Amino acid sequence: MEKVIMGNHAVSYGVQLARVQVIAAYPITPQTQIVEILSEFCADGRLNAKFIKVESEHSVMAAVVGASIAGVRAFTATSSHGLALMHEVLHWAAGGRLPIVLANVNRALGPGWNVWTEQTDSLAQRDTGWMQFYCETNQEALDMVIQGFKIAETVLVPVMLVLDAFVLSHTEEPVNIPDQATVDSFLPPYNPRFKLEPGDPHSFYGLVAPDHYMELRHKMAKSMEEAVQVTQQVGAEFGKVFGRPYDLLEKYRMDDAEIVLVTSGTITGTSRVVVDEWRARGEKVGLLKVRMFRPTPFAALREALAEAKKVAVVDRNISQGHGGIFASEIRSVLYGAGHQPPLFPFIIGLGGRDVTPQSIHSILSYTQEHDRPDQEAIWMEVKK
Amino acid sequence: MSEIIVFDTEGDMPELTMSLGSTLYNKTGSWRYLRPVYRNKTSPCNQVCPAGEDIVAYLGLVNKGRYDLALQTILQENPFPGVCGRVCPHPCEAECNRAQLGGAIAIHAMERFLADLPGERRLPVLSSTAPPGAKVAVIGSGPAGLSCAYQLARGGYEVTVFEALSVLGGTMRVGIPSYRLPREVLDSEIAAILALGVEVRTGMRLGENLSWQHLDGYSAVFVAVGQHRSRRLNVPGEEAEGVLPGLHFLWQVNLGQQGPVGPRVVVVGGGNTAMDSARAALRLGAREVQILYRRSRHEMPAIAEEVEETEQEGIRIEFLTAPLQVLTTAGRVSGLKCTRMRLGAPDERGRRRPEAVPGSEYMMEVDTVIPALGQESDLSFLGSDVQANNGLIVINEAGATSRPAAFAGGDAATGLGTVAYAIGSGKRAALAIDKHLRGEPLQGFPPLTENMSVVPREVDPAVVRFEDINLAYFSAEPRTAQPQRVAEQRVRDFGEVNLGFAESEARREAERCFSCGTCNQCDTCWLYCPDVSVRRLDHEGYEFDYDYCKGCGLCAEECPREAISIEEELKWRK
Repeated sequence: MEKVIMGNHAVSYGVQLARVQVIAAYPITPQTQIVEILSEFCADGRLNAKFIKVESEHSVMAAVVGASIAGVRAFTATSSHGLALMHEVLHWAAGGRLPIVLANVNRALGPGWNVWTEQTDSLAQRDTGWMQFYCETNQEALDMVIQGFKIAETVLVPVMLVLDAFVLSHTEEPVNIPDQATVDSFLPPYNPRFKLEPGDPHSFYGLVAPDHYMELRHKMAKSMEEAVQVTQQVGAEFGKVFGRPYDLLEKYRMDDAEIVLVTSGTITGTSRVVVDEWRARGEKVGLLKVRMFRPTPFAALREALAEAKKVAVVDRNISQGHGGIFASEIRSVLYGAGHQPPLFPFIIGLGGRDVTPQSIHSILSYTQEHDRPDQEAIWMEVKK
Repeated sequence: MSEIIVFDTEGDMPELTMSLGSTLYNKTGSWRYLRPVYRNKTSPCNQVCPAGEDIVAYLGLVNKGRYDLALQTILQENPFPGVCGRVCPHPCEAECNRAQLGGAIAIHAMERFLADLPGERRLPVLSSTAPPGAKVAVIGSGPAGLSCAYQLARGGYEVTVFEALSVLGGTMRVGIPSYRLPREVLDSEIAAILALGVEVRTGMRLGENLSWQHLDGYSAVFVAVGQHRSRRLNVPGEEAEGVLPGLHFLWQVNLGQQGPVGPRVVVVGGGNTAMDSARAALRLGAREVQILYRRSRHEMPAIAEEVEETEQEGIRIEFLTAPLQVLTTAGRVSGLKCTRMRLGAPDERGRRRPEAVPGSEYMMEVDTVIPALGQESDLSFLGSDVQANNGLIVINEAGATSRPAAFAGGDAATGLGTVAYAIGSGKRAALAIDKHLRGEPLQGFPPLTENMSVVPREVDPAVVRFEDINLAYFSAEPRTAQPQRVAEQRVRDFGEVNLGFAESEARREAERCFSCGTCNQCDTCWLYCPDVSVRRLDHEGYEFDYDYCKGCGLCAEECPREAISIEEELKWRK
């Protein structure tokens, strides 16, 4: 069924189709609509799930962790300060090996108080042990919820799917909503390997001394590694079943590309148009969309950038004192590759400032005109 | 027991940190200083119901849709729910904790809803406790007499009811007009009692054609003759034609639906008889009806809803006004001389005593004066061996009089003046008579101001108050109002004013009940227990698993209705 819906509701429909059993949430702009409509689904029976209202995001994640340990499929959504408040429990979810799916709507952190899009909130949770997927369209957001549970439940690593505030969350697009039976065949009920069972109680998450802690973390690392392959398999299977295949990255007009623009989220959509224009002028420009940020798809990135002469990375985020986070990560990926093209690290669109086709033109022009970047972070469109 | 496990390889380790063995060995209940116990407590409605109904239990049954069981719960204690659901002043609602959050539960309307359920009334019988040949005489077929007869008959006693009038029901029939209590409701409730095998002899008045000697063949006698004499106005002109004592007026109205009323009627008094007299006069065609009451609205003994309905019907109530003299023309009422009053110092009951305002006298033209100042008994029939005091038969806590095997109750013994008190009083006498005839001592009866139950539930006598309710679980849904006929329409006939709850309204109202002190299986304790130490039993309630309950008290703290108590563990007590 095709429906014209906003990105937030696309996530909600994905949650409904995934037959999530427990949702806990605390409202925060621009995420609230996701759980608002889900609470209606729970109330009117369209979704057979418990909806737990709690007093903060810290408790949200604690409730979702509890539900997941109890063996059910659990979901939540948040943004910005809400995600920051969850930080401690995000570690518990990952270390507890709980296949939770969280939708984070990217929003800048205050102060200055700001509700518009920026990736710093999710990227600041880079090291919590969660997988991260950045979505470009409403359709991708819906599809990623369903794939997210399948991936998470396979490798026992939680999944964060990320979408841009307003540009995606509140913008309506036509979305194909798959039928329940097909989703059921793709995503069978969650069958936990470990769970709380009153009849056969075990203690969970007790003290682990140095003689075992490191092995636990090594097991997590191996699962993260495994998740790369699992994500590819799940994305391919999704394509077979629903006609929309997904991969770790998406290459757009990359054949013989000399300048490769690397993007994530909604900036990708804008960039497609600009790349088309440059290609029409005969410029060898390509676009690489990063879907999976964690685990880092090392091999896929190296392969995609193997022929590039220059790489322009667009970051709508900032690690203060260092620079753009995608740029920093990709630079690190390329360090281990045989071919190391110059990497242009652009910072743009913080706090929700519009990134227009003209912005992308400027980025490509800068890259074309320079042999190497002349700064560690190239701030675009900052007032003089 | 616990042991430290050392894994040699990463592959041996589980994905996450969890104990490999069960933790059941660790009986954390031994850490407990405090012990939760399920203990139902007394709801304020139950505490004050004069008829001893288990209100909180039947509201809970309505909430579950088990109407028949709810009605049977009432009928254990009171065979007149149809009457009480309409005319009881419902002291239960005055005490209801819900009053402070959206309004008291409309308990009277719930009772009426259950009583009006279609289907034949089946009164619950008990296994017989009656000694062989035991026969009981009941004098008076009012609510006290029939309540006593009902409780004895269902317990296997042979009961004969003697009634002075040709009709049964006492005040329920002759005192309460049909717009408040339709005759068919009363008739069917009485018929259900008689169907238990109660014998009735009408036209038999003790002291006239029935004597104590006639009653010698009975093992016990219960006297419940009521109060049928109106108090006097004690003003000049009271004997004039056109002065109709309220009880007598209502008697005429209720037995014939007629009465001689002039176009202008004044009723004197502030009780239910005054309201009923005024409203009946209006329905008989009086053009202008007003009520004089010597105190203020606050002191009125009439049921507040009755006062409201009376005023809706266009009857004016003159507060702080008293008659001084009935003016007459040729022996007939022609007017009334009145005075304005003010409230002075409190009397012995704490009510401020009204006193005349000097110089405030005024006259009005009136055709009919109905004094309704309360009633008293005529106890001249009693004879010398039944002691009376202050116009009331003297009884002890078991309802026993000074005459052996003679018990008394209802208004003639208590003067409490409501159907519900009379029902409770008749029930108390029945319990006492049963004990007496089985040769048991008449002990263990609570004071006459407290109620008694035939089928008591085991509850802690502590009464749950509003402060004990966990308000996190409730919101201020408003009380459900009972639909009524509009005033302009209802004053034209004696048809019923209140129309009763539809099922949806009854359910909505039952859902509002806090269920004070009575566990209604809401699962809150079960959900909150952090130690999974609350076990849900199959059909009713829960039990604690004291092997693992650490005594944190969360269950008792969260319980919305104070049905869990916390006790100190004896082992820690010095």
